[in-house]
Order: sequence, then C-alpha cells, then structure tokens
Amino acid sequence: MDNIDIRTQRTRIENINALPTVPGTVKKVSQVIGKPGVTLSEISQFVVGDPALTTKVLKMVNSAVYGFPGRISSVSHAIMLLGLSVVKGLLLGISVFEIMQQVMAGLWDHSVGCAVVARAIAEKKGLKDPEEVSVGGLLHDFGKVILMLEYQTQYEEAMKQAASRKTAIFEAERAVFQETHSAVGTWLAERWRFPPNLVEVIECHHRPGSARKAPMETAIVHFSDILVRARGFGFGGDPLVPAVHPAAFDLLALTDADIREVLDKLENSREESGSLSL
Amino acid sequence: MKTILVVSTDPLLIHLAERLLSPRFRAIVLGGMVSAVDAIYNNIPNLVVVEIPAGDSTTAEAINNLKEDPMFNQLPILAVIGDQPPPDWEGLLVEDYLRKGDLERDLLSRVLLAVSRSERVVEINPLTRLPGNISINRQIEDRLGRGEFFSFAYADLDYFKPFNDKYGFSRGDEVIKITGRLILNIVKSRQPKGSFIGHIGGDDFVFIMEPGPVEGACGEIIRAFDQIIPTLYDPEDRERSGIDSKDRRGTARFFPLIGISIGVSGTSIRSFSHFGELTGAASEMKRYAKKTQGSSYEIDRRATPPT
Repeated sequence: MDNIDIRTQRTRIENINALPTVPGTVKKVSQVIGKPGVTLSEISQFVVGDPALTTKVLKMVNSAVYGFPGRISSVSHAIMLLGLSVVKGLLLGISVFEIMQQVMAGLWDHSVGCAVVARAIAEKKGLKDPEEVSVGGLLHDFGKVILMLEYQTQYEEAMKQAASRKTAIFEAERAVFQETHSAVGTWLAERWRFPPNLVEVIECHHRPGSARKAPMETAIVHFSDILVRARGFGFGGDPLVPAVHPAAFDLLALTDADIREVLDKLENSREESGSLSL
Repeated sequence: MKTILVVSTDPLLIHLAERLLSPRFRAIVLGGMVSAVDAIYNNIPNLVVVEIPAGDSTTAEAINNLKEDPMFNQLPILAVIGDQPPPDWEGLLVEDYLRKGDLERDLLSRVLLAVSRSERVVEINPLTRLPGNISINRQIEDRLGRGEFFSFAYADLDYFKPFNDKYGFSRGDEVIKITGRLILNIVKSRQPKGSFIGHIGGDDFVFIMEPGPVEGACGEIIRAFDQIIPTLYDPEDRERSGIDSKDRRGTARFFPLIGISIGVSGTSIRSFSHFGELTGAASEMKRYAKKTQGSSYEIDRRATPPT
C-alpha cells in the first residue's frame, strides 16, 4: 500500500462540498422536516445531533453568498438565519455514507458524546456560548470523515497501524498521510469560512497549548475527547485513552465532583438516545 | 383592474391581444414604443406587451432606456417576435418573450405569470432582499380594504448608530441583514401563509401577521436577537456589554449592546381608516417599547384611538 502526502491533496480536499452521514440520520430527516408545524428549535435539536448536518448548515450560513462569513458558529443561530425552507432543502440533500459504516457509526457516537460533554463543561465553566463549544466537540474529528471518505484503503491501514503499534490514530495518520485529521479538518473549516474559534478548536484539539483565540474552548474539547474515550463511548479511530494535556487540565480547573456530574450527563444522553447512528 | 400596455402596429396582434386580455385586464393599445414610454411615465402599467419587428432597433433602444431608471426597472416587459431568430437578450432588457404563432395559446397565461412574478419581486432592499415601502403600503391598504383582522408590527434598533460608527458600516450591514433574516424566519415559521415582512430602510422593519401569533413572534424575535447580536461584538466589548462611541453631538460615551424595540397595533381591537393611522399607532407603541432598557415589545391594547 502506498502512503500519500496529504499536503499535496489540499485542493482536492477543499473541493469537497458536503459530508455524508450515517443511515440513522437519513432515516430521520424526512420524519423531522415532514412533521406539520415543526419549529426552528426542533430542527436545531435534530441537526446538532449529527456532524454532517451541522457542517452543512454552518457552511451555508457562513458562505460569502449568504452574507455572514466567519460569523456564525451556533447551529440554532444558523437555523434561525437560514429559515425553514432553506434548512429543509439542505437537509433533504444529505447523502448516506456508503463505505466503512461500522467505523463511521463509532465515530458518530464519539462525536456526539464529545458534544454532550463539551456542552456540560462549558456550562459548568459559565461560558457565554455553550452551544458553540458543543459544536466544537461535534466537529473536532470531521477531518477523519474526510480522510475515510477520500482515502479508504490508506485510512484502514492507519487504523491497523494504530491498533498493532498501540499508538494514537493521529500518529498513525501522520505516518500514512504526513498530516493528521486536525489539519485536514482545518483546511476545510477555513475553506467553508467557519468562525475562527471553531477552526482553532478543530486545529488544536490534540495540542491545546497552541490555541490562541479560544484556549478555553479548545481545552474543553481536548478534555471531552479523552473523557468520552475513557468511558468507552463510540470509537475515535483507535482504542487508546491518551493523557490529558496538563496545562489544559489546569486551565479547566474541574473538581472530581464536576467531572462526575459531566459524566452523568453523558450517561443520561446515552440512555435517552441509545446509539444515535444505527 | 390591472393595466396592460400593448405596443404594436400589427392589426392581427392587436385584435388577438384585446380579445385574450380584456376579460382580466384593461388593455391599452399604442402604435410605437416611443409614445408608449411617454404613456408609461405618466401612468405605470402592470405589464407591457411589445412587438419587436425584425431589424427594428428603435424599439429596443426605447425599452432599454426606460429600464435604465430604477423607477421602471421592475416593470415587466413581454416581447413578441415573429419567426426571426431570438435577439441578443443582453441588448434587449425584457423579462420574457413569445412567438407570434403562439399568442393564441400562450399570451394570457404568460401575461398572468409575468404580472404575478413582478409582484413577487418589486422593490427589494439590496441588503436584506426584503420588499420596501411601496409593497408595505400596498399590503396595508389591501388588507384595510378587505376589512381583514391583522396585526401590524414596527421594529427598529436601539444603539445601532454607535455600533456602525465604531465598527464600520460593513459590520453594521451584518446587523441589519441578521435582523431581517430573524424577523423573516421567525414570522414565517409561526405563520407560513399570509404573513408579510418588509424593510423600510436603515434599521426600520415592519411585519404583518394574524393577531393570534403576533405576540409569540415578538417574544421569539427578541430572544433570538439578544442571543445572536452580542456575538457580533469584539470579545472585550461583549464582555463589558457595550462600546465606547460617539453620540449625535460627537461626545464620547458608553453605549449598551444593540437592542430591538417592536411596537404592535392592529385592526382587531379598533378600526383604522387609513394606513397612516395604523402605522402611527404602531410607531407610538414602539416609542413605549423604547422606554424599556434593552429589547422589548409593546402591543396596543387600547380599544379607542389615542387622543
């Protein structure tokens, strides 16, 4: 199998217009938007449970054509600005992931779990926009979706290496692609004119010390990623639970009781929804 | 009755057009585009049907000249051509065309469609793409004329000017666009049919709804506005909930975050004979709303007119 230097493929990646989603979401789309008298907030609730739908909505509202480039990072705000008919059109245009469905289902659960945990921590820390941090949790790994979608064999090889060498998936990605999912996600997030704080969370979630614009948000998503893995919720591409970056942990200053409370919220959401992706 | 101007010298075409259009429209026939333009300047019709003879350039010039002026830019023009190849549309500013041979079958339907389309797109605000004053007035007068029960809401922003002055007009424009989208989407989601949203200009907006859902819509607009607007400030200004800018006299002072004030009046509690009376009552309610610090709405509940 040939390794590729993903950095030479940046243009190809930047031309991607939409992510596919898991079958469970596609089944629910028509049910949600076909409901008579459906409200904007009901649609928001549905969209924030799916990384692909969330990227679609944020991409549209932040597009230059639409007029709010780099401004909107909350799904509920985006949906209020786009309106029911535009959002319906967007949601109906979603397609389903044809390959690696098992892995994708695990990644979806991991992402949704991170969103729940990130929101809980953001609320705990009294941040002004817990929903934006939650979106960071939901989308932090969307570079993985891109890599799986475009380079399936290489990505399977990276996962195999991570498992056999017991290294983190981002290290295996670097061996196979010369760059990680964080970089790939960042290229597309910038191309889609996502707000700078959201781009930074995607870019720096494995090295929260480099965050300059949104250090707290990045630390929250970094820690959520690890917490969700530690709880065995979903699948992030490797079975490891990496160490928490000490400075990020200090910045968060969470007590044991805080962490227990956050984990309870994760458990509750798991009981409520089961696996979201199947 | 809506007026259609028919511009042609072809007796067959004129006869056909009068016969097909007369049950639905007042058809006025003129022999040439130049005299038609004169008639249009005096009284704008709802649509112009104009024959473009092969090799004739004066008709095209007259049409294009007419369309240069924003006042007549929206007037729909339906070109009728013979068997010649279609002209270069870049050089002929019309909305649609028909072949002479298809008039019997298609003229009425195309005219109805063109009129309907032009009513959908009249005088759009370039920033928000919402309809402006002419449509707003027409909406109110039509509803008053039909004796409809409706609520009329008038909204504007508080402390918008200092924001514009401090951050520049392109960020000010974002605020206006967001306000327009929020009002539009919230009103439409609560009343998909028969509601209306207009942009008077600057930071002034109006919307028309049934009396039932209007209060819920006002509440939701205010909540959504107060959630989204703070995210448009620089982080440090957002932190202190306001900005240092200059007031109308040029004196530096602190201004709170932009808020939205909405005043609502309506025909369900009392009757209005004229649209000015109704808009006056709504703007009076808006002045009450403005007395409240931050975003708020006030609904007119007085059964008798203000004295």
